[in-house]
Amino acid sequence: MVAREKLSRLKEKFGTAIQRADLPGAGRLFVFVEPAALKAICQHVFRDLDARYIISIGADDRPFSGKFMVAHNFAFDKESLLTSIATYLPADNPKVDSISDVVPAANWAEREIHDLIGIEPVGHRYLKRLVLPDGWPDGVHPLRKDFAWNQVPEGYDDTREFKFDEPPEGCTVVPFGPFHPTLDEPAHFRLYIEGEMVRGCEYRGFMVHRGIEKLAESVLTYNDIPMMAERICGICGCVHNVAYAQAVESAAAIKPPPRAEYIRTIMLEIERLHSHLLWVGLACHIVGFDTLFMQSWRIREPIMWIAEKISGNRKTYALCVIGGVRWDITPEVKDELRKLLDKLEAEWTPVVAAVSKDKNIQKRTRGVGIADRALVKNMGLVGPVARSAGVDIDCRRDHPYAAYDRLDFEVITEGGCDVWSRVLVRAKEVFESIKIIRQCLEKMEDGPLQLTIKDELPVGRLGLSSVEAPRGESHHFVITGENNRPRRWRVRAPTYQNLQGIPAMIKDQQLADMTISLGSIDPCFSCTDRMETIDLKSGVTKVWTQEELLKLTRTKKT
Amino acid sequence: MSLSELLRMLVYVVGVMAFVGLNAAYLVLAERKGAGRFQRRPGPTEVGYAGWLQPVADGVKLLCKQLIVPPGADAALFRLAPLLVMIPAMMSLAVIPFSETLVGRNINVGLVFVFAFGAINVMAVMLSGWASRNKYAIISAARVVSQDVAYEIPMLLVVITMLMATGTMNLHEIVQQQAGWFWHWNLFRLDLNPLMPVTFIIFFTCMLAETNRAPFDMAEAESELVAGAFTEYAGMGFGVFFMAEYANIVVGCAMTTLLFLGGWQSPFGVGSGVIWFLLKMYAVVFTVIWVRWTFPRTQFYNLLNLSWKILIPLSLFTLILTAVMMKVLRA
Repeated sequence: MVAREKLSRLKEKFGTAIQRADLPGAGRLFVFVEPAALKAICQHVFRDLDARYIISIGADDRPFSGKFMVAHNFAFDKESLLTSIATYLPADNPKVDSISDVVPAANWAEREIHDLIGIEPVGHRYLKRLVLPDGWPDGVHPLRKDFAWNQVPEGYDDTREFKFDEPPEGCTVVPFGPFHPTLDEPAHFRLYIEGEMVRGCEYRGFMVHRGIEKLAESVLTYNDIPMMAERICGICGCVHNVAYAQAVESAAAIKPPPRAEYIRTIMLEIERLHSHLLWVGLACHIVGFDTLFMQSWRIREPIMWIAEKISGNRKTYALCVIGGVRWDITPEVKDELRKLLDKLEAEWTPVVAAVSKDKNIQKRTRGVGIADRALVKNMGLVGPVARSAGVDIDCRRDHPYAAYDRLDFEVITEGGCDVWSRVLVRAKEVFESIKIIRQCLEKMEDGPLQLTIKDELPVGRLGLSSVEAPRGESHHFVITGENNRPRRWRVRAPTYQNLQGIPAMIKDQQLADMTISLGSIDPCFSCTDRMETIDLKSGVTKVWTQEELLKLTRTKKT
Repeated sequence: MSLSELLRMLVYVVGVMAFVGLNAAYLVLAERKGAGRFQRRPGPTEVGYAGWLQPVADGVKLLCKQLIVPPGADAALFRLAPLLVMIPAMMSLAVIPFSETLVGRNINVGLVFVFAFGAINVMAVMLSGWASRNKYAIISAARVVSQDVAYEIPMLLVVITMLMATGTMNLHEIVQQQAGWFWHWNLFRLDLNPLMPVTFIIFFTCMLAETNRAPFDMAEAESELVAGAFTEYAGMGFGVFFMAEYANIVVGCAMTTLLFLGGWQSPFGVGSGVIWFLLKMYAVVFTVIWVRWTFPRTQFYNLLNLSWKILIPLSLFTLILTAVMMKVLRA
């Protein structure tokens, strides 16, 4: 077994620094290590064993073990293994060695742990705020357990501003966002421009404050959370919904019935279809080609209708509960879906043929926004960005979930490393998705949609789940807990990693290429900004409904 | 000056203004309708019968908005810039002959007059960018200047070629020379210059670039520069820029028609008149709209490459070729 073999190699090299390990089932490995050895072990796993970095998680475990916890997650894609290297830290003044100089991709995750849990990554070179707003008081960490979900911190200072770096010599600072026609969601890039060339940039994002993770571990219950999870993202919501459910199922060793797995697969692929078509449209809009933008959205529309027919909603499908799904695919929907796929294929084929021959689009996108293999490795880039650089990763095949292990499909890769390759990857993946849905409709067996779960879920178990979202791998980490809710739930959307590659992708490029470079990762800021904590001055005692929360996201202060 | 002359002038001034205004308003609608059809959707349909009153609604909306001059902007220049874009377009129309008799002023240097006023356009966009005191606007202004300078050169080289071929700067005479069947149009006069169609395409491309139309709309490039030089303009200030774009398209297309397509001359040698001029001009306008919705925006550096590396050498070559041909033919 792969997990055992990896573990024995680690034990061989690091001996007693490995305190204990947990191998709950195929494809999962949890290793608990000495804090002092964490960095060396991560370096070994990342560089020598060539694992892919996923995310780092911090958790306040003081009410249970009296300690803080930090975990670095890695994936061995070829061996279908997800692993978490965890360590416990003392309760007062928790510090951990920063791994971001050996694993550059951990930059944001460590800053986030510093902001929200208050664990200091020692040796981090750029320890500015990432998640918390600028005016948030120092030393208040909202994801600690002693910080109530509805608490209003003392000393919020509206006038405090983020300290940006000095621009390099001879460069003008051009702000890009938070409000800009090509950004559908707020984020701020401070571009350093020399003439028409971008020489660098600094990022300040996390402007969509919703506090979803905090709510999940303090207010919601296991089966409420999927409905909240899909509101993390407006485009790939179902991905988060499924990924969360799978993470809990993996922690509690629950296997949903096969029909439910097929339905999950179908909905995920429907989501990929509409997301990729949406992206092609947006990318065309960015390069100033609105005709194809309109065409691809026209082709996309029937997919939204069929989603509405299945789930009652165009976007938020409310699909999963722990141990199953809520909607069935009826025989009439099945027929309709088949017809739709035929029509979609017939319409999309000529578009792809036209686009792949179009000299103008190629001119705009070839050699633009380069993300090569080294950058993919160092920044942990995922999804079409990685595949466009010839890095053959796809969680559907590498870490099979739902019904993907019973289906036959190809992982599309290109070697151009540029925006053009990303266009091709996405355009071709549409056909693979059509293929997958057809197979699901063919193979889907009758049976129950949900398991009846009578017992309480076990407490203190760790669960991981990686789901291939249209933008790349969405990774969910769950620690199960008491009161029918998880102790900790950490979501890593694909854009979280992909955005960190942007400064390298736009450096020394024309300003005109900056927007399509950013667009080519299909950025989804809401996904990335999913956490951050409770609103400041409102609702101290009442229970928050989802509508109120949504309203909150639209007004800065209530 | 006699009373009738004064009256004629008044009528013509009102006529030109109405022509520009109506064109600007209804070309916007035509553009939106056309774009809609290219994209398999109906375009605006709500206001008036099949959306015919949409330009009125747009105009009223823009007029109702507050004109904001941002703090730190140069208020005088900021307000002057929209006028400077609009006025040259109107001035140019004063010398453009719509038919044998329908012309504001038939002057001998009509050709130079139109291009001289056309060049003011660049300065106006630069002023708007500069006066706004906005980084996007200034980047856009810098782009517009380098773009328009780059495209002014091949355009004027083409104009010189035409001037040599026709031997006059009077627009009226240029059209008169093209009388008869359509092979008398300058576009098909291969005896003057075998590369005449190429010259036409160069002229048309430069016209697109000069009017800042997609795929050369670097000035506005909304996905990069928000609204470029017009970012800070609100209400009718923006509206005037918008209308001026279409007014300039009308002037550009009118010049294309006069220089290459035989102006008001009928293609069959008989029945010439204003109707042919308008038909040809709007056909060119339609092509301009068509091009916009067919090609993606080029990058700025490719745009300059196109001009300096292809269009200028080509237009220089046609100029020399015409000169040689004239010498050879005359000899």
